[in-house]
Amino acid sequence: MNPIETLPVQAVPEVAPEQAKPKPGLFKRNPPIAGEAEAIEAAKNGDAEAFSKLYALHKRRVYTLCLRMLGNVSEAEDMTQEAFLHLFRKLGSFRGESAFSTWLHRLTVNLVLMHLRKKGLNLVSLEETINPSEEDAPKRDFGSRDLNLTGSVDRVALERAVASLPPGYRMVFVLHDVEGFEHNEIATMLDCSTGNSKSQLHKARLKLRELLRQAQQQSSPLANSAPKEVLQ
Amino acid sequence: MSDLNNIDFENMTAADFETVLPDLFASGDGRVSEDPRLQKFLAANPDAAALVRDLETIATHARSLFDEQPEVEPSDDVWLNIQKKLNSEDEGGPVAANA
Repeated sequence: MNPIETLPVQAVPEVAPEQAKPKPGLFKRNPPIAGEAEAIEAAKNGDAEAFSKLYALHKRRVYTLCLRMLGNVSEAEDMTQEAFLHLFRKLGSFRGESAFSTWLHRLTVNLVLMHLRKKGLNLVSLEETINPSEEDAPKRDFGSRDLNLTGSVDRVALERAVASLPPGYRMVFVLHDVEGFEHNEIATMLDCSTGNSKSQLHKARLKLRELLRQAQQQSSPLANSAPKEVLQ
Repeated sequence: MSDLNNIDFENMTAADFETVLPDLFASGDGRVSEDPRLQKFLAANPDAAALVRDLETIATHARSLFDEQPEVEPSDDVWLNIQKKLNSEDEGGPVAANA
């Protein structure tokens, strides 16, 4: 491949306009992107400009995924960098059997998981380590009804709450609820059982509920004085 | 995890409900609040019904984080670092060998 000179990152549309709204079906929603196939083939043949186009097309999605999984800007940028370096080296092995964005997405997820294992999740099996400590675990009651979330969760509050989840919860929540992986896929990726994935997801949602209710309570002083009811 | 076929939904306790909830969410389309087997229990336990609604709300809003992906961009340094690394590899590393 030719040396990558100081190429400006290509300005390209994210998706073809007629495909701008992804279909339900979550992770499988990967509409073709205008010009992507040509850029992949050219980049495989050493076209540096084509590689910069692939970066421009996918940087937001890769970075957003890293940011959601890691909850930290600096680490997310490092992993975005690693993902594209890895892509550069492995692009020749992309055979087009799945959508390119799916392939890149999985490559990124695997790199982030490897990174997390290197950080300390490699000593014992992930099955055990994705369980957070007791104080991070969600409370074991149904909570009160005086703070209903229904219809009142905004994106910023949810993003913030997701970022503050313990890493194990965050990983399963992002992979399942945001990115659309199935429990069996998550189990394979995290090397844990399907039941464990389901259980972690449930705990993650309970923890998010707790965090969102706390945030709601702080922003609404009246809610602090509301009587508490707990189901026994 | 629990086996939903063995649950007596008619006489379910709060503890039973807690046990089966992850599986209920994982099965079907996740609309636990509309599950006919649960209607009696949810009607008798408004806190549990509120919990289910909240968890459904969270799952729905999580999906919208993907659908309406915000314009979150890495800093320009990321691309500059990628270029630097690839150039240094190209000067004598494995990339040059494959080029």
